[in-house]
Parts: sequence; structure tokens; C-alpha cells
Amino acid sequence: MSDQKPVRVYCPVCLQRFKFVEGWKEGDLVICPICGQKLRLEMTDQGWNGVRPEKGTEKEIRARADEFARIRGYKFNDMKEDIIEGLMGKNSLFGDFYCPCRMMHVGEYQCPCQPTRAGDVETNGKCYCGFFWRKDLGAIDPPPRP
Amino acid sequence: MCLMVKEDAKDKPMVYALSTCPYCKRTKRFLDSHKIAYDSVDVDLLDDAKQDEVMDKVEKMTGKRSFPVVIIGKDIIVGHDEDKLKKALRL
Repeated sequence: MSDQKPVRVYCPVCLQRFKFVEGWKEGDLVICPICGQKLRLEMTDQGWNGVRPEKGTEKEIRARADEFARIRGYKFNDMKEDIIEGLMGKNSLFGDFYCPCRMMHVGEYQCPCQPTRAGDVETNGKCYCGFFWRKDLGAIDPPPRP
Repeated sequence: MCLMVKEDAKDKPMVYALSTCPYCKRTKRFLDSHKIAYDSVDVDLLDDAKQDEVMDKVEKMTGKRSFPVVIIGKDIIVGHDEDKLKKALRL
């Protein structure tokens, strides 16, 4: 049995480490399988790190939300655009895409927030904000992967 | 206190909201569309001391830290709920 630890990549959005896939190299664009964030791979003294190439842009949060919905099999509804607008507001006021329906402006509540990543949608049918919906309750599929 | 004065104003609903919350915006739009005069405060835009004060108040009234909160007379409506708003406003 090998005692070598699996190589992991740090995601600055969900603050988790995900598995490094063999063949990836520095500068590659990859998707965090936990939160859907697009990241550019960078090797640091601490190991592999993900850098947000479009940090703070509407393009970034739309791509992240759509990717997260695709990964989990979730849907949206007619609140999607209003919630994106709220997320943009959070970014201008508090510096990142924190849940627009909460007062908390810490990493744990970066969208998709920790409770959502932990399974709130399966349990409640939707996330706290009503952005992500369980397949049987939502109406709008995320667009196909670009 | 300013908030007390607003809440004491008879028949004028008070809306506690977050500036980024889409449901808070829908509630305000609903009141606007029915030409209801109301007072409102965006809690996330208050300074820290005032924010703490209002958050405590909201939590005491509703038992949670959830928005929007609409006070109409003795009715306290948490979340955007047009049926409850209509009932409380007798629309």
C-alpha cells in the first residue's frame, strides 16, 4: 500500500481541496468539482492552488452557478436573474459573491454556500435563497457546458 | 430613536430588507405597485452599531435573521408573501 498522499488542488471559493487529475499542468483551466468554480492551476510552496481567472465578474458567477447546477443535477427558476443581480450587489458592496439573501459575508457563504454544498437542496428542495432547485421542483435547466 | 418613530407611525408598514435580496425587492415592488406608503431600512447598509441593533430587534420579533420582514400594524410577515401582505393590508 502506498503511503503517498493524493495530490490535491486548493479552491479559493469553497475553501476545499479537490483531487488533482493526472495530466493536469500549470496554467490549465479546470473546474472545481465541489463548487463549480473555473480555476487556473498554479503551483505554489503550499502545493497546487486554483486561481480565479475572471474574479468578481458577472461571467464568473454565472459560469460557477451553471456549472454547480450541472454537477449536482439542479435546476433554476424565474428568480435566477434577480439572484444574479443580488450576487453582483454583494460583490460590489462586500467584495465577493456572498449569498444575497443573508447578512453573512464570510467564505462559508460564498455562493454556492456551505449549507447548499452540504445538501440543503436535496433536503429542502431548494437552497436558502431559492437559487438552486431540486430537479423535480425547478423549471429551468442550466445551459449546456460551453 | 428613528426606528421607533417609524414603527409607531400608524398604518404605515415598515420593511426591514437587505439591499441585495431579490425577495425584499419584490416586496417593495408589490407595495409600490399597490401605492402603499411605507418606511424601509436596508439593514446591510447600516453602520455596524445600528446594524446590530436592528438585527437584534428583527430576531426578537421574528425568531430568525431572515429578510424581508414587514410590519403592518400587529402583523409581522417574514419573507415575500403576497397573500399575507394582501390580507394584512386588506387589499
